[in-house]
Amino acid sequence: MLLGQIVNGLMVGGLYALLAIGFTLIVGVLHRINFAHTEIFMVGGFVGLVSAQAMPSITLALVAAFVVGGLLGVVVERISFRRLGTEEAAITAALSSMAVGLLLVDVVHHVWGTEPLSFPLVDALGRGSFELAGVRFVPVQGLVLALTLVLVAGLWLLIEKTRLGRNIRAVADNPTAAALLGIPVKFVGQQVFFLTSALAALTGLLFALRVGTVNSDVGMGFALKALAVTAIGGMGSLQGAVVGGMLVGLLEALAIQFGFGPLSDLLVWGFMILVLLVRPQGLFGSTFHGGGARA
Amino acid sequence: MSPDLLFFTCINILMAWSVYIALAAGALSFGSSAFMAAGCYVAGLLTVQAGWPLLPACLAGGAAAGLLGFLLGFPALRVRGIYLILTTIGMSMSMVVVLENIDAVGGSVGLGGMAGATLWHGVAAVMVVGALLWWVSRSPLQRVLDAVREDEEVAGALGIHVVLVKLGAFAAGALVAGFAGGLYGHYLSFVRPDSFNVLVSIYAVMFVILGGVNNLWGAALGAAIMTIVPEQVAFMREWRPTVFALTIIVLLLVRPQGLLTRRFATLKAAPEEAAR
Repeated sequence: MLLGQIVNGLMVGGLYALLAIGFTLIVGVLHRINFAHTEIFMVGGFVGLVSAQAMPSITLALVAAFVVGGLLGVVVERISFRRLGTEEAAITAALSSMAVGLLLVDVVHHVWGTEPLSFPLVDALGRGSFELAGVRFVPVQGLVLALTLVLVAGLWLLIEKTRLGRNIRAVADNPTAAALLGIPVKFVGQQVFFLTSALAALTGLLFALRVGTVNSDVGMGFALKALAVTAIGGMGSLQGAVVGGMLVGLLEALAIQFGFGPLSDLLVWGFMILVLLVRPQGLFGSTFHGGGARA
Repeated sequence: MSPDLLFFTCINILMAWSVYIALAAGALSFGSSAFMAAGCYVAGLLTVQAGWPLLPACLAGGAAAGLLGFLLGFPALRVRGIYLILTTIGMSMSMVVVLENIDAVGGSVGLGGMAGATLWHGVAAVMVVGALLWWVSRSPLQRVLDAVREDEEVAGALGIHVVLVKLGAFAAGALVAGFAGGLYGHYLSFVRPDSFNVLVSIYAVMFVILGGVNNLWGAALGAAIMTIVPEQVAFMREWRPTVFALTIIVLLLVRPQGLLTRRFATLKAAPEEAAR
C-alpha cells in the first residue's frame, strides 16, 4: 500500500514538475510570473476533449493540445507581457495574466458548462487494471508516466543541447549581454511562451487522461499548486521544479497514506510558505533569483 | 437595483478597501478572502452559538481577523513582491482547507443560522470605513504610508518603524475584510468554506487595480462599477468574468495606474524586487 502510494505520488509529481518547469522557465527568462499558465493547463484538457470527440486518436489529441496551448501562450505574451516589459511592471503583468486566466475559465464555462465531463479516450486505451503493492493502476497511468518522463528528458535536452536552449539560458542569465551578442531577446521570449504554454496544455491533457475527466476547476486547484511547487523548488531553477514536483507529489501521497488526505492542500501551501520564509530563493534557487525577495 | 445587489456592492467596496489599506503600505495581498472567512466564521459562531447581537459579533469577527492578519503578517511581510503574492495566495487556499476540516464549524457543508444583517448595515459600514480612511488620507499617517510604500530604506532612515507600519496596515486590511465577512455571513445566513476561495481575493485586488491603486475612492469606484454595471445589461451579466477580465486587460495596457489616480502611481510594491 505504501509503495503503491509512493509510485502514485511520483506520477502526480511528474505532472507537477512539468507545470512547474513552465512557470520557472518564464521566471528565469523574463522575471515574470505567468498566472495564465494554470488556465492554459485547464484548456489543454478541453482541447483534447474536442479532438477526441472529432477523431478518436490520442496522438491527435496530444498534438492539438500542444499547438493550441502554444498559440495561447503567444497571445498571452502579446497582451499581458510585451507592453509591460519594464522591471517595475512585473506585478502589473502578473495581474494582467491573471485576468487572462479568469477570461479563459469563463469562456470554458460558457462552452462546456461548469460540471466535469468524462474523457472519451480513456477506455479506448485499455480497460484492464493492474495492482502494485495494493494500489490499483489503469494502463493510461502508464502512458501518462511514460510521456511525463519523455517530456522532462526532452526539455532538459532542449535547454542544455540545442541552439534555442542556449539562447534561453543566455537571456535568462543576462538579457543585455544576450542582446549585444545578437540573440533576438524578444523572439526568445515568444519562443519560451510558446514552449511553456504548449507544455502546460499537454500536461493538462495528461492530467485529464489520468483522472478520466476534464474539469474547469483544475486550473485554480491542481495547477495553482504547481506554482507552490515552483516556489518550493526555487523560482527560475529547472532541477528545483523537477525535484519540487516530486517532493510535493510524495508529500500528498504520504498525506493520503497516513489519513491526512483532506489536508493535503494545506500541507502543500504550508510547505511553500515555510520555504519562502526560511529560504526565499527556494530549495534549489540561486541567490540571484531569491535575492529580491527579502528586505 | 435590488437591495441584494447594493448589499454585495457594499461588501465588495469593503473588500477592495481591505486590499487598498495593505497596498497603501506597499503590500499587495491576495489573502483578503482568508480574513473575510475568519471574520465571517467568528461572527457567525458568536451570534448563533453564544447569542451575541449582530454588531458586537461582527466587530469581534473583524478584530479576530485583524489579529490573525497581525500574526500571519509578521512572518509573511518579510517576503515581498511576487513572493508576497504567493504567500498570501497560500493563506487563502489554506484557510478554505482548514475550515473544511473543522467539524465544529460545519466542515465542508458550511455554517448556517446567521441572520439580521440588512442593506443598511452594509451602507453604514461603507460610510464609517470610508470616513476613517478619508481621515487617514488627510493625516500625517498617509505620508508615513507613502514613504514606506515608495522606499522602505529611506523611510527607515527617516525614523519610521517600517515593520510596524506594514504590519499595522496589513492587520487593518484584515480587520476590514473580517468585518465585511461578518456582515456577508449574516446577510446570506449560510456560508460554505468555498464561498471564500481565492477568487474572492483575486476579484478584490482587481477592483483596486481597476479603480486606481493608491486612491481611496478609486478602489471603491472599481468595486462599485464591476458589481453594479454588469447586472444592468443582460449580455454583460451572462459574461461577467469575461467583461471584467477584458476591462482589466485593456486598462492595464492603456492606463496601468488605474482609472482614478492623483498621486504618483506605484504598483511595484517595492522597486527592485520585481519578479526575480
